[in-house]
Amino acid sequence: MPDSLDALRLPVVPVEPRPEFAAALLRRITGAAGPAPGQPATVRYFVTDLDATVAFYRDLLGFAVELRPSPVFAMLYRGDLRLLLSVPGRAGGGEALADGSVPAPGGWNRIALRVPDLDTAVADLRRRGARFRTGIITGVAIRQVLLHDPAGNLVELFEPGAGYHERAPQTATDHNP
Amino acid sequence: METQPGASGTEPVAAVYRQALPQVYGYLLPRCGSTVVAEDLTAETFMAAVAAAGAGRLPAAGVTVAWLVGVARHKLADHWRRTAREERGMAAVAVLAEEAGDPWDEHLDAQVAHAALARLAGPQRAALTLRYLDGLPVAEVAACLGRSVHATETLLVRARAALRRSYREEGDLDA
Repeated sequence: MPDSLDALRLPVVPVEPRPEFAAALLRRITGAAGPAPGQPATVRYFVTDLDATVAFYRDLLGFAVELRPSPVFAMLYRGDLRLLLSVPGRAGGGEALADGSVPAPGGWNRIALRVPDLDTAVADLRRRGARFRTGIITGVAIRQVLLHDPAGNLVELFEPGAGYHERAPQTATDHNP
Repeated sequence: METQPGASGTEPVAAVYRQALPQVYGYLLPRCGSTVVAEDLTAETFMAAVAAAGAGRLPAAGVTVAWLVGVARHKLADHWRRTAREERGMAAVAVLAEEAGDPWDEHLDAQVAHAALARLAGPQRAALTLRYLDGLPVAEVAACLGRSVHATETLLVRARAALRRSYREEGDLDA
C-alpha cells in the first residue's frame, strides 16, 4: 500500500556551511585547538595568603594538594577540576601584564561545585568556620549557596533539582561513536 | 608538540573533510532547520569520527562520507531525544487515539508536511525523519533509536497521528 508520507523523502544535497565554521572545525579535527580527552579543566584563582587559601580548599572543600613549588603558586585537584592559586604581582601566573595592570582576587565569577546534600554541606561548613556570602538560594534547576575563600574569591556549592541537566556519560558504539 | 591521544584518528577524518563536510551539513541542515543546531551537530559528528578512528573502533578506510552521514543521523536522533517536547506530543496523541488507525490517503503537500514535522520534537520527530525523510526501513529506524522494532512501529503510529494533526493546523495557518 503506498504510503503518502513517502512524499516527504529528502535526498541528501550537499550544502557548504559558513567558511569560518568550516575552518574552525578543521582546526579542532587536526588537534590545533581543544584538550585531548581526559585532560582536566583548569581554573586560576588569585590569592593573597597562599597558605590560608590552600588550607581552605584542602580542609573545607576536600581538594587535594598536587604541587606547592613556591610561596606564590599552588596546584590543587578536585576530581576533574584543576585549581591553580597564584599570588598577584609575582611570577608563576600572577605577573603584571604588559600594560601594567595587576590581577586581583574577587568578583562575581566563580567555580561551582556539585554536592549531594546542600543542607548538610552548609551546616558542616558553618561549624568549621566558613564565611558565606549568601544563604541557600533556590535557583533554576538547582539550589545553591555562595561562600568566600580567604582571598575573597567566591565558590558556589549547588545541589541538582528538578530539571537539572548534565551531559549524559558518552557511551560510544561503532555506529554512534 | 606532544602527541595527543587519538591523534591517529585525525588523519583519516581530515582526508575526507573537504568532501564530507558539505554532505554531512547538507544532511543535517534541512532536517533540523537551524544553522546553529546544524553546525553543532556537524561538529559533534566529525569529532566523534576522530574519537572512533583514534580508538581503533574502525579502520582508516572505514571513515567514508556514507559512514559520516550515518553518524550524523545518530547525532540528530540523539539531539531530538534530548528535547523536552515529547510530553506535549503524547498529550496531543491521546486526543488522536481514534484517528490513529485511519489510513492517511490524502495527497500530501510536502512543504506543509515538512513544516508540520518541524513542530514535532523528540522521538516522534526522529522516527518520522528516519523513516520518511531518509527512507530507512523500520528495522534500521529501530536500531538508530535504540528501541525494539515493535516499540518503533508503535512510536511511528503515534508520530503519524501527531503529524497529521500538526499538518492540519499548519494547513489552517496557510489558508
